[in-house]
Amino acid sequence: MDFEKADDVYLIKQIAAGQTAAVEALYDRYNRLVFSAVLVIVGDRAVAEEVTLDVFVHVWRGAKTYDDTRAGVRTWLAAIARHHAIDILRWQGSRVDSRSVPLDDFSLAGDPNLPDPEAQAELSIQRRRVQQALAQLPEEQRLALFLAYFKGFSHQQISEQLRQPLGTVKTRIRLAMQKLRQILVDEQQPSNTSERSGVTYPTNRKD
Amino acid sequence: MLNDVHVLELLPAYALGSLDDAETRQVAEHLSSCYTCRKELESYQAVADMLLLAVPEAAPSPELKKRLARRLHGSELKRTAPARGWQVPRLFPVGAVAGLLILLLAVSNLVLWQRLNHLEYMTGPLGMKAVALQNTGAAPDGSAFAIVSGDGKNGVLVVDHLPELDASKEYQVWLVRDGETTGAGTFSVDEDGYRGMRLAAPDSLLSYASVLVTVEPAGGSTAPTGKQVLNGSLFNP
Repeated sequence: MDFEKADDVYLIKQIAAGQTAAVEALYDRYNRLVFSAVLVIVGDRAVAEEVTLDVFVHVWRGAKTYDDTRAGVRTWLAAIARHHAIDILRWQGSRVDSRSVPLDDFSLAGDPNLPDPEAQAELSIQRRRVQQALAQLPEEQRLALFLAYFKGFSHQQISEQLRQPLGTVKTRIRLAMQKLRQILVDEQQPSNTSERSGVTYPTNRKD
Repeated sequence: MLNDVHVLELLPAYALGSLDDAETRQVAEHLSSCYTCRKELESYQAVADMLLLAVPEAAPSPELKKRLARRLHGSELKRTAPARGWQVPRLFPVGAVAGLLILLLAVSNLVLWQRLNHLEYMTGPLGMKAVALQNTGAAPDGSAFAIVSGDGKNGVLVVDHLPELDASKEYQVWLVRDGETTGAGTFSVDEDGYRGMRLAAPDSLLSYASVLVTVEPAGGSTAPTGKQVLNGSLFNP
């Protein structure tokens, strides 16, 4: 059966039904997304490939647990990838070191030499949007966000890593997320802002 | 103030998973009964979900897809033949020190290592100690060894045949001393139920009486809350 044109949710259902070809189709579609994310987190290509394998085998084993009402397939995959990759960091007791992908890469455009087929067009557009949004953050906020999300560090660990007061770290992360939400969620879906709680709260709290 | 009632200021970090254990628990408890904060969290979660898109695109080697196909095929075979004999533990992804500990023990005295299935406890070269943990009804096929260096500074836990957990949960290791538990790391397992991890403890591993593994919310808990899957004495004086 040709799964190339099948939508993501259908693929997951076929995977749950035991179709290994559907896993391979999903891999064709998302291996770069998963591998790229994992590589930034673990900072080593060989380890990133092992984790990428783990992610797709996890999908093969866990497709029945996927709930399409809670998250899109891409989001689900990304969450699994991050979870597995950060697990590796924690097991290794890893810290930010010379093997890590430089922070600059966190906000740079993708490799222009890689092919960008039509099927990847929407992904590419979203990728660019997120990169542009991140570029609007002050560097210290981006760095704190990077350590929290891509290295799985707690506030306390970030505070120690950056040698900044805990309250400062908390504020940077909060402000960064608020700004990104404004750019990526609120401005894209204005009708949803009122549907959200609509609450506002101070951003200048001293922690 | 809204923040006196809600947990709004904690939600961005909660979505990133960067709160400490106590704050995570506080937010989780609040969310269970607060629609306002749940809706706020959804928007921050959407942001967090998009962050992975920010990374520069990279491609794995073409060989990886072939390896995936082999592993998928292997997984199918295992489903029909789940019983496995003893295998020398795989070292990946245990860190270098942890891997070395296992390697030293496994290579230098494989026969004695195998006997751990029956002996529960043995000492190896350089005063190294290995302990076989007991499984519980929550993981009837699970097995595990805790390996501690002679000076107690390093240790690893290797588990096998533990059930895979969904993404909202993780296994958490606990060290027990004088009735108090100290978290020693969280982990999940691969499709074989296997994982090796370094034991992270504030004090010498020789100072703890026993080790437990429980199922906890992803990110871990400050004290055991979930069902216990493994336990065993560390045979310390």
